[in-house]
Amino acid sequence: MAFNVTEIFEIPIGVGDITVERLLYFAVILTVGVIIAKVVATNVRRALSERLPVNERELLAKLVYYVIIVWAFVVALPQLEFDLSGLLVAGGIAGLVIGFASQSVVSNLISGLFLMFERPIKLGDNINVADVSGSVEDVRILSTVIKTYDGIYIRIPNEKVFTSNITNYVHNAARRFTYEIRIRYEDDADEAIRIAREVIEKHPFALKNPAPSVFVDNLGDNSVNLTAYIWAPARNWWDVRTDLLWKIKVALEENGIEIPFPQRTVWFADGLEVKGRPGEKKEKEN
Amino acid sequence: MFGRYRGTFRREYNDILVEAESAGGLLTYRRRCEGKTFERILVSNTGEVVINPVEPVNLPKEITNFLQVEFSPMMIEPGASRTVYLKFPVEIGVFVESARDIEVLDVFALGTQKYALYGSPTNGVIARYYESVVYPEIPSVDPFREGVMELSIHNTCREWVEVSRVVFESTDMKIYYGDFVAATATMKLLTKTMAETDFIDAPLRPGMVKSVELYTARKIPAIDRGYLMEWGL
Repeated sequence: MAFNVTEIFEIPIGVGDITVERLLYFAVILTVGVIIAKVVATNVRRALSERLPVNERELLAKLVYYVIIVWAFVVALPQLEFDLSGLLVAGGIAGLVIGFASQSVVSNLISGLFLMFERPIKLGDNINVADVSGSVEDVRILSTVIKTYDGIYIRIPNEKVFTSNITNYVHNAARRFTYEIRIRYEDDADEAIRIAREVIEKHPFALKNPAPSVFVDNLGDNSVNLTAYIWAPARNWWDVRTDLLWKIKVALEENGIEIPFPQRTVWFADGLEVKGRPGEKKEKEN
Repeated sequence: MFGRYRGTFRREYNDILVEAESAGGLLTYRRRCEGKTFERILVSNTGEVVINPVEPVNLPKEITNFLQVEFSPMMIEPGASRTVYLKFPVEIGVFVESARDIEVLDVFALGTQKYALYGSPTNGVIARYYESVVYPEIPSVDPFREGVMELSIHNTCREWVEVSRVVFESTDMKIYYGDFVAATATMKLLTKTMAETDFIDAPLRPGMVKSVELYTARKIPAIDRGYLMEWGL
């Protein structure tokens, strides 16, 4: 009995008149569509790599990618004898069913779209959302990917991101940070302020405007407490913060101003008798 | 020091040394400036090294495109125009150029840098900050440290306006060099708190050579549209 391979393509799959051949066509068109989408999106990314900020570039690349996928899907659907006009009629009911079935997916999708257009966060921003702190790695259709400062990958559903309080540490151009500097009571506070200001002034990214402010904030138990308010570019503030404090400490010590240790003066009601002082032993022997 | 070099060369100026040295068949670019050094091996048959002043917004690292020059306050009469001269910081850019492409190799400068916020933290911009005296004539400058900016101020509003700073978008900056480094700019005062600034693509003196711009070398498309100072003058 002769077996013709092409006959396999004619075998119906059991759904309407759809044959294996048409199913294969559907799969091929969809696969080609995905490949084209990936190639085009990659090229869009490459072409715009130095022309657009990373956020806009990624948004555009994703938009191109999904448009091509949808286009491939629409082109491939007739292979499954799927009537798109029927889809419109059935759309209401199907939408209702799908809506209930995939409530959270749709919610995440819509939240993702809002996040992309409202843009409270951008790729690379340092944020805190839903008690997760880190930098934004990706804002996808359904989820947002955060890389924590420890380098850990965290995926947060977009619905959660959208409905949570978002703290974006780098949204503004500049931000302020504070140091508390303690000096001894015998040190000259004016001199300490002058030295601290001088060190801050020398740092390129400690902003000239708004001007830094250094002042005696309070008189502590063991020290005179100075406070320094310093503005820095939001994207560089951590570097400035970690860099400046030690420089201020070194400059103060070079000028004889020291950071005091905690100390307590103790008074004894009957005075304090110190035993074993030098000479005491000899006196006893005599 | 500014100019084009092919193969090996050596240029020194006070605390700056720039050289391309051939050792064992390898061409090595080397720079030393105020104790800091930079070195790269160059693999090139026909390439040239171009050294010229560039937009001063790259050091210690690139965080902004804006340059702010602050000067002693000037009161400008309604309708008045006046050309003054300011100093601006110079950064030195080193490029490698071939027939088909140009790339930034190194950027360095003498002295220190300072940055400031122009505007509010929410809407403002970070700008490279520089203080200058207002000069009626071209002042003398160290060409590797400072440049001369010819600034034409025109008050188009009906009120007296006090001006004490000018902010530019450095992507518009056109720098020329010769005996000194120069740029030509305009400042149109629109209201008491707003002004439009822009650079003019023209040498301050005839014979000056136009610098290769960093934005050209980095292939970043920029539209020369000037900058609207809307956060005070």
